Amino acid sequence: MNLRVRQLSKAFGSQWALQDISFDLHGGDCVALLGQNGAGKTTLLKLLSALIQPTSGAIEIDDVNLAQASARVRALVGYFVPSAHFYEHLTVKENLRLFVALYSMHNNGTDLDDALDRVGLLHWRDRFVSALSAGMKCRLVLAKWLLVQPAFLLLDEPYGPLDGAGVDLLESFVSSLAQRNKAVIIATHQIPRALALCSRALVLNQGRLVFDGERHEAALNLDRLVGSLLPRGKQWNS
Amino acid sequence: MELLRQTYWLLWKDVRLELRRRESLMAMFFFGALLLFLFQFAFEIRPDRVAEMAPGLLWLAFVFTGTLGLTQLFQPERENSCLEALLLTPFDRSALFVSKVLFNLILMILVESAVFPLFAILFNLDYWTLLPSLFAVTFLGTFGFCVLGTLFSAVTLNARARELLLPLVLFPLLIPVILATIRCLEIILRSGAWSEGLPWLRLLIAFDVIFMTAGYLIFEWVVEA
Amino acid sequence: MAQTGKTSKILGALALFFILLGLYWGLIKAPPDAYQGDSQRIMYLHIPSILTAYLSFFIVFVGSCLYLWKRERRDDILAYAAAEIGVLFTALTILEGAIWGKPTWGVWWTWDARLTFTAILLLIFIAYLMLRALIEDENRAAVSGAVLGIIGVLDIPLIHMSVYWWRTLHQPPSILRPDKAPWENIHPAMLEALIVNGIAFLLLYFYLLSQRVRLGEKQEELKNRKLYGRC
Repeated sequence: MNLRVRQLSKAFGSQWALQDISFDLHGGDCVALLGQNGAGKTTLLKLLSALIQPTSGAIEIDDVNLAQASARVRALVGYFVPSAHFYEHLTVKENLRLFVALYSMHNNGTDLDDALDRVGLLHWRDRFVSALSAGMKCRLVLAKWLLVQPAFLLLDEPYGPLDGAGVDLLESFVSSLAQRNKAVIIATHQIPRALALCSRALVLNQGRLVFDGERHEAALNLDRLVGSLLPRGKQWNS
Repeated sequence: MELLRQTYWLLWKDVRLELRRRESLMAMFFFGALLLFLFQFAFEIRPDRVAEMAPGLLWLAFVFTGTLGLTQLFQPERENSCLEALLLTPFDRSALFVSKVLFNLILMILVESAVFPLFAILFNLDYWTLLPSLFAVTFLGTFGFCVLGTLFSAVTLNARARELLLPLVLFPLLIPVILATIRCLEIILRSGAWSEGLPWLRLLIAFDVIFMTAGYLIFEWVVEA
Repeated sequence: MAQTGKTSKILGALALFFILLGLYWGLIKAPPDAYQGDSQRIMYLHIPSILTAYLSFFIVFVGSCLYLWKRERRDDILAYAAAEIGVLFTALTILEGAIWGKPTWGVWWTWDARLTFTAILLLIFIAYLMLRALIEDENRAAVSGAVLGIIGVLDIPLIHMSVYWWRTLHQPPSILRPDKAPWENIHPAMLEALIVNGIAFLLLYFYLLSQRVRLGEKQEELKNRKLYGRC
């Protein structure tokens, strides 16, 4: 499966959020999407998952334009958000059952239990999502995508609430996806981890794509490309 | 069929949520009861005029109560960006329309089933023999209400002043349902015969069929970006 | 764009000509009505007003359908413009009805079928404009408007039937039935006046519509300049 982005641009009102973004994504790619706050990372991910429409340009999956594609084609792209996308007053298991059913996957109780076990949430199976901490909700999100395994998975700041064990789970999941010829994009500020995990990097600066290449090149040139992506221990002026 | 399955799961989700949170149903019932009291204070419903005024007052009570329910209808989807989560899946968007219409219909029928007897008791209305006919007409009217109500509840999902905008948009469009249902109920309470009410009944059925179909076809555009 | 401007000016000029002609014809040339006297003359405005209001609705419907199908801003601008002008002409119709009603029936308003129906049309138009105004995202506002436009138009025959039955299935027919089409048994001189005024109204309507559409297109152009100008 190929995903091609051609001159993708998005404006909100009279402000450009993204301009002229072009790149290709193939099965097996593991890409780190880097950029300052407000550079356009989330906007790009939402456009790729068809949650918002572009102002101009096109996204194609295997030569099918996403804007005209059926819901089935659009669902080939998953969007991983660590803190949302679950019904608070349904239990952990009920949420998974619902989403699995909507993906037209036949609901096997044991599959759900397996997934929950792998992310360490099996004992929380019958608890409401509202009772979960942020990190556990993130693990639940992980469980969902573990079950769905879309052809393209876009992760938006997944490292945020996860503890050490959670980070390991996440990274092994991402690696296994890449091994199964799925493509992954991780938008994050955890640059050392992301560059260790991913083979490729895309860097956004003020809505433009300023770098698309191998990770070691990105690591060498990051300062020049973007400036202040890594914390520098500056003092707060009081 | 996939559509039925997805509709089932979406409906199951709403029913589960309602059983746990119990926000809409209770509020709607008490609001309906409250309106009956307000009507008595406003219109001084005398015993000799009850049968004449009952359909109009009841139906008004149902419409206002139903509107309350409509503003809450997509609330679970608004929290935690769940609508986004749904849209990421390949489900048939019309299934969401059907499930919400059915859910709203269930809520309204439950409320009506409680408010109707309350009305009869408060105003000494004797209608037990006519119950099946009254129920059938009310059901058709409620269905029409739910169909357009669900559609526009989704349309106004992210609008400002949503609680004001929804009735403003919805009520003029519901006039055929309101008129037809009230007239039919009036005719049944007055004479118990269907024949006089037949044109109104046909109008009601036509409304239900046309807008269920239109809503079903159009809903996809309403929810997608 | 220049074409629209020129066409618009021509329409405006023609409209002005016909309005003046229509005023002359309606107020002076046509004979007064046998029963109602001069107050009947408002019909020369009232009937064309109603017809342009219906036309507006139809254009909103067409614009809405085209927009949902092709998603071109042009169709949405047309639908919105037709709704705005539609509010104007519908309100005008009701006002004219009231002006006629006072000397004829002694009241400003009566719940007869036609007036009530026209008032409902006005409410739907207003709801359309409010819906568009209160939705912040432009594209969503356009889609929402289109949905209301389509559903509204599908509903109109049903509203029409229900309002007319409401007033006729229970009321005895009255002598002065304002919902009886006046072109049945109409005097030829009156018919002429009606036609002239009809043409005047149509021209006026299309003139106003074209101006409004031009305004919409200019706004769109301005928006695009802001976006692409600094590219």
